[in-house]
Amino acid sequence: MDKPSAQARAPSSPLALLTPKETPLLAGPGSGSGGIGSGSGSNSNGKIHIPLARYATWIEDNQLKRYAPWLVILVTGLVRWCVGFGPYSGYATPPRFGDYEAQRHWMELTLHRPVREWYCGNLINPEWYAWKTSRGYESAEAKEFMRISVLVFELVVYTSSVVVFTRRWLVNKAWIRQHTLLLLILLQPGLILIDHGHFQYNAVMLGLTVWAVNCFLADQDVLGSVFFCLALSFKQMALYYSPAVFGYLLGKSLRLGVIGCLWKLIKLGVTVVATLGIMFAPWLQSKDDILQVAQRIFPVFRGLYEDKVANIWCALNVAIKLRDLFDIQTLVRFSTLATLAAFLPSCIALIARPTKRGLIYGLANSSLSFFLLSFQVHEKSILLPALPVTLLIVDEPVVAPWFVSLACFSMYPLLYREGLAMPYLAMVGLWIWLTAGLCTRRVSSTVKWLAVVAHVGLAGLQLAEWVAPTPLPRYPDLYAVLNAVLSAGGFTAYWVYFNWRQIIWLPSARALSSSTTSSGSRRQMLHQQQQVKTKTA
Amino acid sequence: MKKKGDSKAFHSTDFEVHRNWLAITHSLPISKWYIEDTSEWTLDYPPFFAWFEKLLSFFGAMVDPAMVQVDNLEHASTATVYFQRSTVIVSELVLFWALQRMLAVMGNRPLQKLINWSLFLNPGLLMVDNMHFQYNGFLYGILIHSLVDAKQGKLLRSGILFAVLLNFKHIFLYIAPSYFVFLLRAYCFENSENSIRARSWISAFRPTRLIILGLSVVAVFALSLGPFVAMHQIPQLVTRLFPFKRGLTHSYWAANLWALYSFVDRLLILVASKTPLGKLWNLSVDPSALSATTRGLVGDTAFGVLPAVTAQHTLMVTVALMLPSLVVLFRRPTFDRFVGSLTLSAFASFLAGWHVHEKAILLVTVVMSVALANKVGTSPNAGAGAGALARENGQQQMLSQRDVRAFLIVSLAGYVGLWPLFFTRAETPIKVGITVAWFVLVAGGLEQCTPRQANGVGASPSIAAGSRSVLRQLTVLEQMYVVGFVPVQAYVLAVHGWVFGEDRMAFLPLMITSVYCAAGVVYGWLLYSYAFMESGMQADKPKSKKKTR
Repeated sequence: MDKPSAQARAPSSPLALLTPKETPLLAGPGSGSGGIGSGSGSNSNGKIHIPLARYATWIEDNQLKRYAPWLVILVTGLVRWCVGFGPYSGYATPPRFGDYEAQRHWMELTLHRPVREWYCGNLINPEWYAWKTSRGYESAEAKEFMRISVLVFELVVYTSSVVVFTRRWLVNKAWIRQHTLLLLILLQPGLILIDHGHFQYNAVMLGLTVWAVNCFLADQDVLGSVFFCLALSFKQMALYYSPAVFGYLLGKSLRLGVIGCLWKLIKLGVTVVATLGIMFAPWLQSKDDILQVAQRIFPVFRGLYEDKVANIWCALNVAIKLRDLFDIQTLVRFSTLATLAAFLPSCIALIARPTKRGLIYGLANSSLSFFLLSFQVHEKSILLPALPVTLLIVDEPVVAPWFVSLACFSMYPLLYREGLAMPYLAMVGLWIWLTAGLCTRRVSSTVKWLAVVAHVGLAGLQLAEWVAPTPLPRYPDLYAVLNAVLSAGGFTAYWVYFNWRQIIWLPSARALSSSTTSSGSRRQMLHQQQQVKTKTA
Repeated sequence: MKKKGDSKAFHSTDFEVHRNWLAITHSLPISKWYIEDTSEWTLDYPPFFAWFEKLLSFFGAMVDPAMVQVDNLEHASTATVYFQRSTVIVSELVLFWALQRMLAVMGNRPLQKLINWSLFLNPGLLMVDNMHFQYNGFLYGILIHSLVDAKQGKLLRSGILFAVLLNFKHIFLYIAPSYFVFLLRAYCFENSENSIRARSWISAFRPTRLIILGLSVVAVFALSLGPFVAMHQIPQLVTRLFPFKRGLTHSYWAANLWALYSFVDRLLILVASKTPLGKLWNLSVDPSALSATTRGLVGDTAFGVLPAVTAQHTLMVTVALMLPSLVVLFRRPTFDRFVGSLTLSAFASFLAGWHVHEKAILLVTVVMSVALANKVGTSPNAGAGAGALARENGQQQMLSQRDVRAFLIVSLAGYVGLWPLFFTRAETPIKVGITVAWFVLVAGGLEQCTPRQANGVGASPSIAAGSRSVLRQLTVLEQMYVVGFVPVQAYVLAVHGWVFGEDRMAFLPLMITSVYCAAGVVYGWLLYSYAFMESGMQADKPKSKKKTR
């Protein structure tokens, strides 16, 4: 749908992509190029040789910047709408249906029932609501309405937050760079496929999280924690991020001296309690209600993991049948402890050095820890680590796009089941094409080859599945298991990498630049970052 | 390349048309191809296209054997949809290849790149091919290959390619006159720098070339039509290919002269039946017309007040509209004039032809894009001054503002004229979105490529960077027209259904779209003709002066 999408509007052929020979086009900043200069990302000399960057350069050269935001909305919206043409989760598959039916049913429930009863029925499994005559209601118009609602909420919450993020993250950088980052983040395939294909409202939660990050970037910590609590109360998954947010805020407070620290902690504590209190006010009147809500939100009874998910438990399950060996209580405790152990290093590092860059890495690390080790994880939860990784895409030009591809790959069985293989192929292909150019000449060829081999290997696996769906009758789930194991291995490697990046690499680079304090004004922060880059470059 | 997103859209009648053709060519012998009529969508493209379908059907049969059964009407399994959609995308690689060649030949400058992208991601092509379902990208790819050959001076190859193209889809007959004149004049006569004087025509004539060209074209046609000549099926084939009984206008009016004509007729009917003016002017209304035309049915068109139009009339008007450009081309057969005259031929056929499809506007805009790409533009980085012209090749003409204005107006009007093809609400965001995005980007890009004259339209270099309007290069009237699309289409897409409901007065939005777009197309045609003729006159003037001395 063309797509019709922004990638190809870059004024050059896709063939010229991998060999960045058209430097003259990029080298001449147009008349509107504001700021200090287009330099200083952590890759090379700040030029990004990808189609989107060319598109942004072209826009600037042609003085079309005033139209650029509308074009972004138009194009990214179109991509999402095209994906939305596909079937949704549980399309025409009674009796359980899927997420679409769940969301539709929640709308009906919240419309018709009093607030206090919302969590009394079973919100998770619509099967128990047999008395609802409208169950499984499907029509083209209802689908359109639901799709539009996702689109609108995403636009209002997520897109706006990303726009602000690119401005604050790349403050004083060239507009081209900011715009490229914006387009890349908005065209991240995982979120599009799940929200607009599978059907969920993840973008709202993620958007609220990005708003929180925006506030943290501007040192508006109280407002930031309000946003984060809103994200939490929109979807409890945001809990995956909480260690990083907690560590960052605590670390920042600790640097303010005793009085300042106490005052700040009180401020933040009151904010959090008040926000959550307001959100959950209707159910705080009786103990039963609280328990009921808690049980609903954290459905421990549903087992260690669902289906085939690319986390460590599911991968281990190939060799050790954990679920048969231990009872559910032990597993809950065990997985909680493991999660705690996994995110602690990153959290402690954040408390020790609460930098803004560290915060994003911390978000990635803590959410990855949860994804890999916590109880009852869905394959869709990979979207949570994918968000901070996508935000870091200009800073981690090799690793981040690769992570996103892997994340999509890990969700492939789900998408395939729901008839979304075609949008999956289109979106991931688009993503790989868009980001391939981020591997500049400075990246070592070993890494490049590794990336190529990994991509080709995964593509080969999918091709094999397509050609021979069940090669071994004894193992009907062969491909799904392979997928889960490979992805889990990959994610574990990423966990190690990002932890190394956050705990060892960031401080060491800063140590070189011989600056000590980390919290402080944005300008100071920026100064540090630039020093870091000049050192590493 | 990644237009797959669109391919998820609903399938239209043309999807079933092409599925049926796959089935016909796969399971029936050649002798039955143009006789078979199980489906109402009979094979009505020339034989090469039928062979193309046969080639596809081999793969199609592998994917889903049910697809290629003739009596399996309205078959649209998921595999079939994916297969057919992917054939369109793959076949558009021909267009991609052609555009790469064009970029290499025309020069790799910002203007050419812009035109390239504008062609490749053309909303018209996207809508007609990937949403509606046709193979236009493939066919226009062949056309552009032929044009690139002509530009390179490989005239014979260009001619053969065009003959092949004609046997793929006979809609390219619209521009055949220009091809004929150009090849005759440029290939079959020896051309020096200046045009040949009348008395040396005989000595400049190269009969061997004429014979070579003629033989190759005849060979192509023999290859295509030969089997049917042998089977005495040519009359049958002609009735299939040229369905003159189908009526003057298509199911809804294409945005051409006849749309305006029918609109005037409708107005006159209203005047004659509802006001005393009818008697005053002695208008008589043909009662059979009252219920016929605008109801969106394929059928014969009847006019209430104005005289009826026959196929002969349309042919005469078309030829009359074409002739001036052909004369200009004949006097001096340069490539510039060739593409210009191709555009005008396509215009003439679109505006005045019999039973023109709204999709035929693509022919106009594609050829016009090539004509623009053939010119020299300024580089966007060179600043706004008039001195920064990137004139690299003295033989090429500068891009003129008239060309750009005509191009923008015609494209916009033409593509909006395609919108009624996609009538479901889910498709509305796509058709609106791609058209608007295309217009903003191309208008903005062309604005930078157009050299500015000192007294040019709205030119003022003091406007702050980054705050230019993409409409700046248009005149006030044109700006009003473009902006006017917003309320008009808002009414057509939303307000009408809201006021009248889904079914009542269904012809009104269609009529409004057709007439409004027709106005734009006619205006753009006038503007472009004027620019073409003017540049033709200027180029011919110095020579005629020399002659008189």
